Amino acid sequence: MNRRLVIILFLATIGLYAWPAYQWVSTDSRDSGTFFVDPVPASITPDVPLIHKEFISPDTGNGIVHVASICELSQGRLAAAWYGGTREGARDVSIFFSAKGPGDAASWSRPEKVVDRMSASKELCRYIKKVGNPVLFSGPGGRLWIIYVTIAVGGWSGSSLNLTWSDDSGTTWSKSRRLTLSPFFNISELVRNRPLPFGSNGFAVPIYHECLGYFPEILWLQPGLTDPDIHFKKSRMTGGQSFMQPSVVAFGPSVAIAFYRSRSHEKTIGAAVTTDAGATWSEPETLSLPNPDAGLDALLLSDQRILLAFNDSPVSRETLSLAVSHDRGAHWTRIAILESASGGEFSYPYMIRTQDGRIHLVYTWDRKRIKHVIFNEAWIEARMKGTMP
Amino acid sequence: MTTYLFSFVFPFLLATALLQSVAALSGRNLQGWGPALPFGLIGAGIVLFPVDGLPLARWLISLNANFSIPLTAILFSRVVRTAFGIRLLDDKALLTCWIFAITAGAALYPMALGLTRLDPYAAGWGFSWLFVVMFSLTVVLLAIKNRFAVILMASILAFNLHLLESTNLWDYSVDPLLVVVSCIGLGCHVRRKAQRMR
Repeated sequence: MNRRLVIILFLATIGLYAWPAYQWVSTDSRDSGTFFVDPVPASITPDVPLIHKEFISPDTGNGIVHVASICELSQGRLAAAWYGGTREGARDVSIFFSAKGPGDAASWSRPEKVVDRMSASKELCRYIKKVGNPVLFSGPGGRLWIIYVTIAVGGWSGSSLNLTWSDDSGTTWSKSRRLTLSPFFNISELVRNRPLPFGSNGFAVPIYHECLGYFPEILWLQPGLTDPDIHFKKSRMTGGQSFMQPSVVAFGPSVAIAFYRSRSHEKTIGAAVTTDAGATWSEPETLSLPNPDAGLDALLLSDQRILLAFNDSPVSRETLSLAVSHDRGAHWTRIAILESASGGEFSYPYMIRTQDGRIHLVYTWDRKRIKHVIFNEAWIEARMKGTMP
Repeated sequence: MTTYLFSFVFPFLLATALLQSVAALSGRNLQGWGPALPFGLIGAGIVLFPVDGLPLARWLISLNANFSIPLTAILFSRVVRTAFGIRLLDDKALLTCWIFAITAGAALYPMALGLTRLDPYAAGWGFSWLFVVMFSLTVVLLAIKNRFAVILMASILAFNLHLLESTNLWDYSVDPLLVVVSCIGLGCHVRRKAQRMR
């Protein structure tokens, strides 16, 4: 290389790095977002206690269903997604979608297949061995999103995340898009818990890593102005091998608590706090509540208390309970046992609160069906006071 | 679309390099357009050949969608050298590449897989210390007229053009296969040097 060429290449290098630097400067405000905390719906008033239970999916017979999520559509309608097949991790596993019209009398629609390994393989233009965990959520403009897991090689540690969306309430879905989130063959990234609105129209999606290490992470998703223009990045909540599947509850624009599924020998739920909108998280602490290495979900109530759905045992998923904390997780009061049966499995709870103030809980019912429980804060109060059986 | 088309480049170079290696075993002269053209056409045919509805190249991409720019450049350099006898990368550039990849891999992969709480991979998504380090390294290598600087320039160019599926600068600079190749390359280099000293 002669001196003239070196100078030209040096100037070119400056130009090449100037572009990402300019983009960073021009989009800095987008990155410095905060959690968007839902205002308490106006209809939340002292109400009559309500609880209603129903099944979303039909009985699978010999098959299984698992990992359900639910979200609110426009005009009070609901939608749910989960995966089902002959067994967990089987090649015939598909992701199903069902919707429910407004009103208590409406019933869930017949589950429609949204993604299976063949459709994912075609859309992502690569070999897909199997599909797994979907998380369904809605965003600005009524757009529905599903983030789901695909595996090309191996088991769950070979998972990668993908994204698809629908602008017609789930009737049609976009071509899936692969999210590159790991430098090591882009594997070992999974999703399970409810995303939080973040910034103007973005999401903080709790995800987790499951390979040599098991740890919780946040996927920062920022849809752009045009469809393919989706910006994303990932940050780690903690390292190690003890905690995963974070469920995040935001108390304000910058403050949130994450509750973790525990893989540690202590068999108790973990928790960590952020005071800088998820940029950094405290070291995980263990709570007094047990965890049998199973998924859990937390939701903020209108009076800033936390509602937690969890398996109330250090060893099994036979009991699914609800507990409430008034001091941000320091102390808990068990308010209800929703399910309890020897040999059963009632797991992977997922909760949302709809605009009418009701709380919707979906979970895996013995791996046979997806169950939907609707209740309100009046019912929680009645349970706290012991005035409701 | 650009990302999709570029995903065929590494598999094409790999197929062509393998064809060249097989042909070299027969002792034929591989240099010149005469042999290069059929190898290129056969290589293209192989990667585009549909198996179970997917071009063969995309089966490779199923395992790793982000072959780094340095690895692609090394393969390109090898194919060009075999076909035309032109050395795009000299020994100094290759040695720099081996050391760069092993250092980057040793820093990135254990931490990204959870060895520590720190995740250096996060630095690759937005303008960060990683960009400053890469820029500084490129400038220093240019100053000492090391051709690996051009590969680093190609990496940031590919990042700006979004040629890989990833949007993270780390994936444009290093990948697990490059680290393996670099370990082998550096091992061979050290062995050769030791033999010469004897």
